[in-house]
Amino acid sequence: MTDLRIRRWIFLGLAVIVVLTMLVPVTTKVTVSPYTQRMYDYIDSLPAHSVVMVSFDHDASSQPEIRPLSLCLLRHAFSRGLKMAGVSFQSEGTVIGYRMIEQTAKEFGREYGVDYVYLGFRPQLQAAILQLGESIRGLYAQDYFGTPLDSIPMLVGIDSLAQIAVVLSIADANNTTHWMEYGKARFNVPIIAGVTASMVTSYDPYLSSGQLSAMVGGLRGAAEYERLLNRHGAGQRGMLAQSATHLYLIALILTGNFIFLRARRGKK
Amino acid sequence: MDWGTLVAGLLTFAVFSFLYRDNPAYKWAESLLIGVSIGYTLVIAWTSTVSAMIIDPLSSGRWGVIVPLAVGLMLFGRFFPQTRSWSRIPIAVIIGSGAGAAIPAMLDARILNQMSPTVAPLWGNGLVASFGAIVLLSGVLSTLAYFYFSRERTGWFGAVASTGTWFLMIFFGTTFGYTVMSRVSTFIGRMEFVLGDFLHIIHQ
Repeated sequence: MTDLRIRRWIFLGLAVIVVLTMLVPVTTKVTVSPYTQRMYDYIDSLPAHSVVMVSFDHDASSQPEIRPLSLCLLRHAFSRGLKMAGVSFQSEGTVIGYRMIEQTAKEFGREYGVDYVYLGFRPQLQAAILQLGESIRGLYAQDYFGTPLDSIPMLVGIDSLAQIAVVLSIADANNTTHWMEYGKARFNVPIIAGVTASMVTSYDPYLSSGQLSAMVGGLRGAAEYERLLNRHGAGQRGMLAQSATHLYLIALILTGNFIFLRARRGKK
Repeated sequence: MDWGTLVAGLLTFAVFSFLYRDNPAYKWAESLLIGVSIGYTLVIAWTSTVSAMIIDPLSSGRWGVIVPLAVGLMLFGRFFPQTRSWSRIPIAVIIGSGAGAAIPAMLDARILNQMSPTVAPLWGNGLVASFGAIVLLSGVLSTLAYFYFSRERTGWFGAVASTGTWFLMIFFGTTFGYTVMSRVSTFIGRMEFVLGDFLHIIHQ
């Protein structure tokens, strides 16, 4: 069988497993990891009415993975009475971020301008963070809809990262790193992160050193967070499919190695 | 079903069709993605940068933005032989200010702050913490030895460098595992949309 044909069968097998497991109305038991518990406890410990800056620094391609996690974090923050200021330094994340913050705000009956505000996109993440540390109004004269920041009740008396309780970086790739390098190191604002699973190992050392106050990653993180929030969502729904797919991939790796070793022995 | 969901669902199938073989539906979806992404980025860049940071301030009488605007426009001097040298000024500003901001920040965040947990006390904080600190220190030292190329890898140094290889392999394996998990999560997230919002087979 050619490589292309083998690949087609592998993809077909993956699709069948994911579809079948998603059709089965079974929820797998999720154990909450210390990472997720730390994030939950951190948000839980913030005083009500604290202002959280939510930075949506991801592309549209990461949305299927990062959306369930983002919704959990936003729901938890709104449920605690925290105020949210949304920003974005990735153009594709701008509208996605606004939609998520608006959706969760509506669920909790929060009012725009009083409980949350969306400032929108600015280019050059590093320069933008440095400017936010000096003056938010220096970077954003108006919000996403063109309203001057001075007319927004929530932002009265807030004009720099010094007045922000914590920055929540919802990101793919290494965008959270810039928040730690410029926001945390220069202005000492605490950083917490909701990231794609592929970035968890890269950020782990920052969590150990305290540069990152809390971190939760991927669909697995979303499932754990949903359990802590007592809310059934996309994270928990996807866990059976995720587990089955991992078993499928392990079986493929073992089979591939078995075939390789057998072929090598045959050559000898 | 709204038009947005219908279009997104059909485009998802068009992109997935590439897994069977390259075909016109995939090519069309790919071209559409590139075109829409560029168009969207241009609109966002115009409204958030050109309009918000240049046109609006100028129309409200904040003439101070003329200076950075003029320096920025000098970059376009590269397109004409007579004005090519003008572009050196904004490039010098960008590189100088960028390096000035980045070097101390990166040195602080990626090296100095990372060193302090690495040299944490090896004992006195309980058995588990001590074990973790010893593993961490062994990993850092042996990995550094692996990347030390000025000495032949023989004897005790070779053994330490080989240990570094093991630490590196464990890191690569863990990272690859998380990356696979990430890609699978993306696929699951997309299938949730297809089976739920698009085909209404599962209820969310």
